[in-house]
Amino acid sequence: MSQEHIRNFSIIAHIDHGKSTLADRMLQLTQTVSDREMHAQLLDSMDLERERGVTIKASAVRMKYLAKDGQLYVLNLIDTPGHVDFSYEVSRALQACEGAILVVDASQGVEAQTLANLYLALEQDLELLPVINKIDLPAARPKDIAKELEDLLGVSADGMIPISAKQGTGIQDVLEAIIKQVPPPKGDANAPLRALVFDSHYDSYKGVIAYVRVFEGRLQKRDILRLIATDAKFEPVEIGVFSPDMRAVNTLEVGEVGYIATGFKTVRECRVGDTITLATNGASEPLPGYKQVKSMVFAGFYPTNNDDYPDLRDALEKLQLNDASLIYEPETSQALNFGFRVGFLGLFHMEIVQERLEREYDLDILATAPSVEYQVVKTNGELVTIDSPAQLPDESVISEIREPWMKIQIYTPQEFIGPIMDLAIKKHAEYETTEYLDTQRVILHYRIPLSEVIVDFFDRLKSASKGYASLDYQFDGYRTGDLVKLDILVNNEPVDALAIIVHRDDAYHKGQKLISKLKDLIPRQQFVVPIQAATGKRVISRANVKALRKDVLAKCYGGDITRKKKLLEKQKKGKKRMKMIGSVEVPQEAFMALLSLDDD
Amino acid sequence: MTFIQGFQSLYLHIPFCKTKCTYCAFNAYANMDTLVNDFVDALVREVEIVGRSRPGQQLHTIYFGGGTPSLLSPGQFERLLSTIHALFNVKSGSEISLEANPNDLDAPYLTALRQLGFNRLSIGMQSAHQNELRLFARRHDNDAVARAVSAARRAGFANLNLDLIYGFPHQTMTTWKASLVQMMALQPDHVSLYALGVEEGTPLERWIARGELPEPDDDLAADMYDLATDILGQGGFEQYEISNWAKPGYECRHNLQYWRNLPYPGVGPGAHGWAGGVRYSTILAPQKYIQALKSSVGDYVYPRTPATVEALEVDRPGEIVDTLLMGLRLTREGIQRAAFRERFGEDVVTLYPALMNRFSAQGLLRIDADTVRLTTEGRLLSNMIFRELV
Repeated sequence: MSQEHIRNFSIIAHIDHGKSTLADRMLQLTQTVSDREMHAQLLDSMDLERERGVTIKASAVRMKYLAKDGQLYVLNLIDTPGHVDFSYEVSRALQACEGAILVVDASQGVEAQTLANLYLALEQDLELLPVINKIDLPAARPKDIAKELEDLLGVSADGMIPISAKQGTGIQDVLEAIIKQVPPPKGDANAPLRALVFDSHYDSYKGVIAYVRVFEGRLQKRDILRLIATDAKFEPVEIGVFSPDMRAVNTLEVGEVGYIATGFKTVRECRVGDTITLATNGASEPLPGYKQVKSMVFAGFYPTNNDDYPDLRDALEKLQLNDASLIYEPETSQALNFGFRVGFLGLFHMEIVQERLEREYDLDILATAPSVEYQVVKTNGELVTIDSPAQLPDESVISEIREPWMKIQIYTPQEFIGPIMDLAIKKHAEYETTEYLDTQRVILHYRIPLSEVIVDFFDRLKSASKGYASLDYQFDGYRTGDLVKLDILVNNEPVDALAIIVHRDDAYHKGQKLISKLKDLIPRQQFVVPIQAATGKRVISRANVKALRKDVLAKCYGGDITRKKKLLEKQKKGKKRMKMIGSVEVPQEAFMALLSLDDD
Repeated sequence: MTFIQGFQSLYLHIPFCKTKCTYCAFNAYANMDTLVNDFVDALVREVEIVGRSRPGQQLHTIYFGGGTPSLLSPGQFERLLSTIHALFNVKSGSEISLEANPNDLDAPYLTALRQLGFNRLSIGMQSAHQNELRLFARRHDNDAVARAVSAARRAGFANLNLDLIYGFPHQTMTTWKASLVQMMALQPDHVSLYALGVEEGTPLERWIARGELPEPDDDLAADMYDLATDILGQGGFEQYEISNWAKPGYECRHNLQYWRNLPYPGVGPGAHGWAGGVRYSTILAPQKYIQALKSSVGDYVYPRTPATVEALEVDRPGEIVDTLLMGLRLTREGIQRAAFRERFGEDVVTLYPALMNRFSAQGLLRIDADTVRLTTEGRLLSNMIFRELV
């Protein structure tokens, strides 16, 4: 296939605006998938994705399309993950494309969340095709929405394609527009091979499958290859395309999208963003934009039942095969025994991992509150890095503590600037500038301690903006902060897994809040349980959980034990997520309590 | 399934009340008087199906519960009891109990009941205070209880139970103590004290949900329980179950059948039964119950009758759990280790080594050579144990 007949594109859409349905219709119309084989939302293969309505991992599908001009084209649809935690992966997937379809719901209009990905697409210089979906809905306002898009993108409303992915109307128009408007890939077929890895997944038969876009040269099945960033050499097991199942081919030509079965055992050996070339006489320069993603958020994961530790280890190992950004190492907690310190790209990533462990591996796990990575300079000049409050050295040997700061961009309609600025002040953010996107929308630029972002910033941002604002962030640098460790003592024992590092100014307020929350969250035990918050030796706040006196069913009506058992089983389920700390049952919510200290 | 031979206990559910109490979530209905005759016909038929399925089955207790069974006339009881006597082998000296509203217990009625063979009455006293009785919408006053007790004694009832409720909104230690003292003055032979459970769908639940009544205070209820334990102990009562006390020899034999997890056929709408390895329940609505027993002609073999709606085969692990959940309620008898071994072929302590250790260390269970039972502290915290067993 000549480059002239290849189109590489992705779809950008807000959750629920119909990305997956549109993709499904394209697959049907191009007969890539027969109607019979079609199961809804083929591209999102994980259950979790389907439920959350977001794509967690990208994938790529090759379609053959006989266009109205009578010529046969190859269309490569490259799917992108839809969350800010994965923005690096999104940027690599977009780098593999020449165009992007922007899907907007005809009743909802452009949502702020779409903007972050839209700007990534513009950064990559992609040709944008605005598509207005769900025109079949009674509440559809395609004209208004088109005008809105015109203002936002500076493109004429006339070229915007009205469709109903659900009913299958307008799909062919979209395909034709791709042919006409998205430029074919450019690249020197005779230059040494350079192929971008824009995604990967682990296959138990063929090892790591790298998703690649050939930018220059040609990839042949017997070539010995080299990853430029890691300098790893390998002989591919197979090369091929997704149509949509894996189908082996002999060559991938310049401009094409496909896969390489690398034989690697983990996705970490073949990182997204790296460039593949030939082992001999290959290219010396990688494609631009490679960086190694770094974990920003850390939390302890412990099995609720200590016996499940080996199962948790196995499950994390398996998840890591497919998730290069997931890192973990064993951790021991006095309170929670054996578990793992796990690093994530962000809170959303953490939630996904936690849910997958619970659902796909049937594990009951207890997650400690997330933490960032601090740098501690000791009085002897030594620099130590810690990602858990429990690792903080004794106060007497600390000279200073540095914490990571982020640059954040908040995309919001103007009317919410006030409440968002209030929130930013509470979260110790430093204002940089306000950028006007159009008459309605702005981008607020701030710098902010990452620890403030991971707590409840996103939720609070949503509530401050009635759900409209969205957030993008990048690492800025480390800064010295006036930080202290806040210890929580349950039944007079410090519970390492409940300790948090806070700004000294917030210690008193947060300690009090935390204790009053914990007092309600920790169920009454057979004895009185004192709980205290302390910095160093100083107790900031204390309260008692009263002793449990009565936990009994007075009567079994007519010997009806069945009903009684159901009731007890229900109560037992509720207790399952509790962890015994000493002789006190502590529920999962207690460990997450500090995520919502500023609720009121 | 373990087959248990020997005496069984028959439960008959009478689902009618004159008025429904505000805390009550039992299968009981007011304003259905017109159904009573048809209901008795249906109940007689259900008793016949059970009796014919097990010819010669021995009974040692018969219990009429409700509802308000004292709404039935002596004639209606006669029909039921004569059917029972004709089809079952009722042991002489069997305990034949009736739950009763004090207002229904006048001298002629009581004499008739005695003549029919009733020898135990369970009288719903609930409280000695008029305002508390009004909160519950009880139709009797406190004097009615005293009158009923003395009339019952004169009629020859030597075994009387009184029920009280505690731990309800606006009740105080003072009013509770007065209720206890007045109840003791009536010299019952058996006492049941029930902590109020706020049941779904009851007026009491609605009032509490709407904030018109305060929520029950569990700590106060626990104090009330402790006070009652003292007062009853001083009065010569022995506690033998979490909510039940008796003078020596007056333990309720029918309820012991439940607590020992021994078989009991249950008949009537919304009755529960346990027999032949099956736990079952019957149609709730009286009208439907009557209809089911009228229309059916098929060959029913108990434990299935036309009224059966749910029937669950209980396997051995299930029966072990039931035996523990019920048996541990017996505060004095507990689980008899020898009897348990004989029934299930295993020792109860070695069956649950970790749990038994833990609860004994926590002071909830006392384990000795012959028995496993709740400690004093364990009585009010028994769900902590039961939850781990289910």
